Amino acid sequence: MKKKNHRRLFPSIRAAALRSLLCCAVVLVFTSAIGWAQHVQHGTQSSAPNVGTAAIDFDLRSMDGSSVGLATFRGKPLMMNFFASWCDPCREEMPLINEIAARSGKDGYAVLGIAVEDSRAAIMQYAQEAKLVFPIGLDLNSTVKRAYRIFGPPATFFIDAQGTIRDVVIGPMTAERAREGLKKAGATL
Amino acid sequence: MNKTLTRNFAAIAVCLALCMILAACSADLSLPDPNRASNPLIFGPEQRLGDNEKNPSTPFLRYSPDGRLFAIWTEDHDIPWPQGAQSPTHQHRSGDMTASPMRNAMLAWSADGGKTWSPPVRVNSNTEAVQGEENGPKVAFSADKRTYVVWSIPGEKGDKTRANIRFAMDDGKGRFTPAQTLNEVKDTARFPIIETAPDGTLLVAWIDRRIDGPKPRQLYLMRLSPAGKALTKNYQVGEGLCECCKLGIAFADGGKTVYMVDREVDGNKIRNHVLRKSTDSAQTFGAPVEINNDGWQVPSCPHSGPSIGRDSRGQLHVSWFTLGRSEQEAGIYYSVSKDDGKSFAPRQLVQANTAPETLYATLAVGNDDRVYLAWSNLDNDNKAQIYTRILAADGRTWSPVQQLSRAKGNAGRPVLALMKDQLHVAWTETDGEDSRIVLRSAKVEQ
Repeated sequence: MKKKNHRRLFPSIRAAALRSLLCCAVVLVFTSAIGWAQHVQHGTQSSAPNVGTAAIDFDLRSMDGSSVGLATFRGKPLMMNFFASWCDPCREEMPLINEIAARSGKDGYAVLGIAVEDSRAAIMQYAQEAKLVFPIGLDLNSTVKRAYRIFGPPATFFIDAQGTIRDVVIGPMTAERAREGLKKAGATL
Repeated sequence: MNKTLTRNFAAIAVCLALCMILAACSADLSLPDPNRASNPLIFGPEQRLGDNEKNPSTPFLRYSPDGRLFAIWTEDHDIPWPQGAQSPTHQHRSGDMTASPMRNAMLAWSADGGKTWSPPVRVNSNTEAVQGEENGPKVAFSADKRTYVVWSIPGEKGDKTRANIRFAMDDGKGRFTPAQTLNEVKDTARFPIIETAPDGTLLVAWIDRRIDGPKPRQLYLMRLSPAGKALTKNYQVGEGLCECCKLGIAFADGGKTVYMVDREVDGNKIRNHVLRKSTDSAQTFGAPVEINNDGWQVPSCPHSGPSIGRDSRGQLHVSWFTLGRSEQEAGIYYSVSKDDGKSFAPRQLVQANTAPETLYATLAVGNDDRVYLAWSNLDNDNKAQIYTRILAADGRTWSPVQQLSRAKGNAGRPVLALMKDQLHVAWTETDGEDSRIVLRSAKVEQ
């Protein structure tokens, strides 16, 4: 009798252990999923628009109310500069950006400004003051800034005629870096 | 059958227990502090400040010594231009294709804890482009109810980065005196703050660029009498400041000790926050003490400065935003100094960035030594919202993160005011070309 009970006991322990292991596996998968979800939610995602990736398209209003996006410039190299009227290094680099923009028609590329964390009034005043000659998209809701992972202006992306990012400059631009970026984007300078 | 059922239930119970243990461990790892002794605050409904038709923004809150809550902010200018004066373009309205950068500084007060407000008074006598964002107007008070305001306006050529500090005080008849410029060198100053020192004099501080390199910006001060007269000339007390962040200040020892926080930038463009301490009533300051070596190297312009408060035990509390050495480190941080600013405890993460974004943080310290923090971060829809959290006096126990705003567009740059058991949080919400100010209040346990 004892032997019989003993025999019955072991299979049932094994079954319980198996059930427990299965449940543990489910729990582990479940908690790992929660942990991963929390990591994704609280950590920053790593889908930065890097060199070699497709530039993210957008649709912004320009200062005159017309629509402006990457599609507007498809087919020619583009220098896309994120700036703000309150930003010191932006103001320091702006004469160079404007000079490059002034030559863009002749040299077969385009320049686009993306104004971030600024009002239209402030940008209009700045554009007049600095005599800016390139189109400006007003990123009033910060959607483009976030898509391009800009923590603070200035930042400049060089995009080729097919819409691929070929160079990125975070911080103030120099003439050398601008030339290099434009060449990488396919401009014939 | 019963035995099988019992065994199954036992297995499920074991698994549930394991599940709970693992979930608890997971929570421990993902939060800066698992203790949650402080209950979330119960905030009242949203209130608006300013004229929504004039795009109010950039609020600053402060209690006056007589217990009134004051708010100052900027909004669009809509007063007709004086005859013969050169007018800028038309007044800005949503959908209007012309826009004016002219903004006014508006001041109002509430005697019932923010429920109702006085009619706003325009502070700036001239038509000016009063600056906002990180650089908005600030208000301070004397013990005899005088009100003092500082703000920044762009320089002569409209350059916001080569700006001027303006000052005005109430004239005792419900209006403000004509504004005067405080910086003695034209077009060099911005990010002003004003504080009434315990001796009743006014201390104004700002970031200056009169020495334009090779070091970055300088920290300048000026002291004014309660009547608004200059007691000192402009004087430099520090250098190496980042060009675009707000300053913070706190007093001790009847104004003899002054603490200031700012963000520094070194030759490698590494931006760390520092504390500067004066023991001679802000005449001179000691060498800056690094609050934390965040190692944030950035050549661009993240527009977010630190905040400081001092508690009844003399501990100094600081909050700030940093990206740190990688995007995974980015977030709002807090630290405390328990040795009068000589050193700071290891930083604590208040909340991690949920997306690539520069965040804005502020803090206030209660009479019970609890620390109240408010900041912006992105929600699941990638819109910036305002969050708050309380740190208990033990310096370890955090309340849960509480979301305060439900902005359709983005909410940013929160400010706090705390008086006895009343906490107020105000911020700017923007949606396209429109902006508005939102205020929420809560009763806090004391």
